[in-house]
Amino acid sequence: MAIEQYVVNGLLVGALFAAVAVGFALIWGVVDIINLAHGEMVMLGGFVSYWSVDLLTGTNSASLLLALATVPIAVAVIYVVGYAMQRTLVSRVTDEDMFLTLLVTFGLSIMLQQLAIRAWSADPRTVNVMFETTSLNVAGLVIPKMKLIAFVGAIVLTAALWAFLKLTRRGRAIRAVAQNPEAAQLVGIDVEHTRATTFGLSAAIAGGAGAFITMILNVQAQMGLIYTLKSFVIVVFGGIGSVPGALIGGLLLGAIEETTAGVWSSKWTLAVSFTILILLLVVKPSGLFGPAVEGDE
Amino acid sequence: MSTTNDTGADIVDGILDAAASVYRFFEGRGLQTLAVFTIVSAIIPLTNPSGFEMTVITELFLFGVLALSWDLIGGQTGYPSFGNMAFFGIGAYTTAILVKSFGIAFPLAFVVAAALAVAFAAFIGIIVLRLRGGYFAIATLGVLLASQQITRNLDVTGGASGIILLQTPTAQEFYYLFLAILVLEAIVVMYLAQTRFGLVLNAIRDDEGKATAMGYNTTYYKTAAWMLAALFTGVAGGAWSLFNTFVDPITAYNTAWNVEIIAMALLGGSGTVVGPILGAFGLHGLIRMVIDTYFTGWQLVVLGAVVITTVIAMPKGIVGTIEEHASAMEYYKHGGQAAADSSDADVADPGDGTVDDSGGDSP
Repeated sequence: MAIEQYVVNGLLVGALFAAVAVGFALIWGVVDIINLAHGEMVMLGGFVSYWSVDLLTGTNSASLLLALATVPIAVAVIYVVGYAMQRTLVSRVTDEDMFLTLLVTFGLSIMLQQLAIRAWSADPRTVNVMFETTSLNVAGLVIPKMKLIAFVGAIVLTAALWAFLKLTRRGRAIRAVAQNPEAAQLVGIDVEHTRATTFGLSAAIAGGAGAFITMILNVQAQMGLIYTLKSFVIVVFGGIGSVPGALIGGLLLGAIEETTAGVWSSKWTLAVSFTILILLLVVKPSGLFGPAVEGDE
Repeated sequence: MSTTNDTGADIVDGILDAAASVYRFFEGRGLQTLAVFTIVSAIIPLTNPSGFEMTVITELFLFGVLALSWDLIGGQTGYPSFGNMAFFGIGAYTTAILVKSFGIAFPLAFVVAAALAVAFAAFIGIIVLRLRGGYFAIATLGVLLASQQITRNLDVTGGASGIILLQTPTAQEFYYLFLAILVLEAIVVMYLAQTRFGLVLNAIRDDEGKATAMGYNTTYYKTAAWMLAALFTGVAGGAWSLFNTFVDPITAYNTAWNVEIIAMALLGGSGTVVGPILGAFGLHGLIRMVIDTYFTGWQLVVLGAVVITTVIAMPKGIVGTIEEHASAMEYYKHGGQAAADSSDADVADPGDGTVDDSGGDSP
């Protein structure tokens, strides 16, 4: 296959990485939490989609309409999961040291992952969306229809979140809490509720992306950590709080991974991603699109 | 502190009072305590324990080493590493390859393994120790996962299927080996805690900027602590590979153990010597004796729950909480003045000032 093909494949998947990462960056920017259980929201979203299809059809095959209908379900369910997580557990350490929030969310990550294994085994599962012809041919490049739809879906999810933050009253409250929680409280914003809402939104977009990932790749109980780290790579690349940065970062990461897999071998993709992560942190921890880091030696 | 009515709080207070008395008895008797511990541990194999008991106790020593090593960098220096198991894996694989493919005797293989782990730590340390807080944690997690992936993909390491080792020492030799590593490390950490070196590490934890401003080359100190942690973790990994008779990427770079050792250090009380060891014995004992038997397959769920509960309910750990209580008692005994200053100073506090969450800026 030509290299352009790998790049196109990567860009299509990369938009989903970007959507997941935007959620990760949102919670980091607003509540100042690095949520190590973020990848588990992707996993749970994927399972919501899978089990919805399973419940309605008795198989893992679905028409496009049905498959797409599971996305809002995943978004809604995972929103509730995220809201509850912040309200019951994470809020207890929100104002403490960041290390403690890392540990709490890592603990949650292990628990969710292991409970998922107990409940649904460690087998990968996929929602098989039925098409008459599965892919388009554009200028010599093969574009799978489902990947194209997932790409558009990821962009829609990201745009919807962005619009929510920019245009609604609740979105303004979230941005106010991000800037200064105490001042936000003074003007009458319920900070705890706003933070939990943010957590819910962050989880919801990951859950929605997870539903699409189940349709184009698969869902597996232990997939979470990898998505958390990918999000971290993307956010570090794009800068915290920068939606365009995350989008570019996601597309780029997808392209790099697919090209590595195609040109070299798929077993090296993770090693390459993690190495990029370490290098990025060292070279520019505030992100290529973020503010300059002060106080360098 | 009275127990006139038996409410829950009074019971907790009573337990804390008793624990504080025990704590004060042992305070300042570190070496004697360690000597008694060593003698008792050395006698246990002579009492004909079962093979299972020997294995479990050996594992307790192993986790003691790992938790104490983590605490050196995570608790004493305030750099919350999520990647210590990378050193363990490197130690394990180096030993396994040297013993299996090159037929080198295992004591020599340990030395090489430890040297490699330390060299790796020095190299990685230069890169990641510039980061703080969350950035440092994630970078070290990235180091661990990258090491795991690279090991899985190489031929010399046997790929995903790993290496099987057959010629290994007896269970008793392993028992004494791990005990020796643990005791040696405990002595080293205890000694360092009294020296300028240990104090500078704590200063870095509390406020790295100030430590630098006072003229200390913090890079030197934290890199040294990081390499020391790697030394003991690497040796433990090397010994473990033979003990386990098998290494593969999943078990040698065990991400579950990676969190387990942090949980042990925190549960026991990070920033102390006895805390991480107690935490390791307690948590691993619980896992092996209770959970493996009665809740097979739920180990990691319980581990996650323990991590969350510890962080939320007792961020100072058992030893830290008791220490705090002991100094509070001292304070009340002296009519609410004085005394507090002397004991306040050594209250281990893993929370405050361990990390700077403002970003990855290096001072």
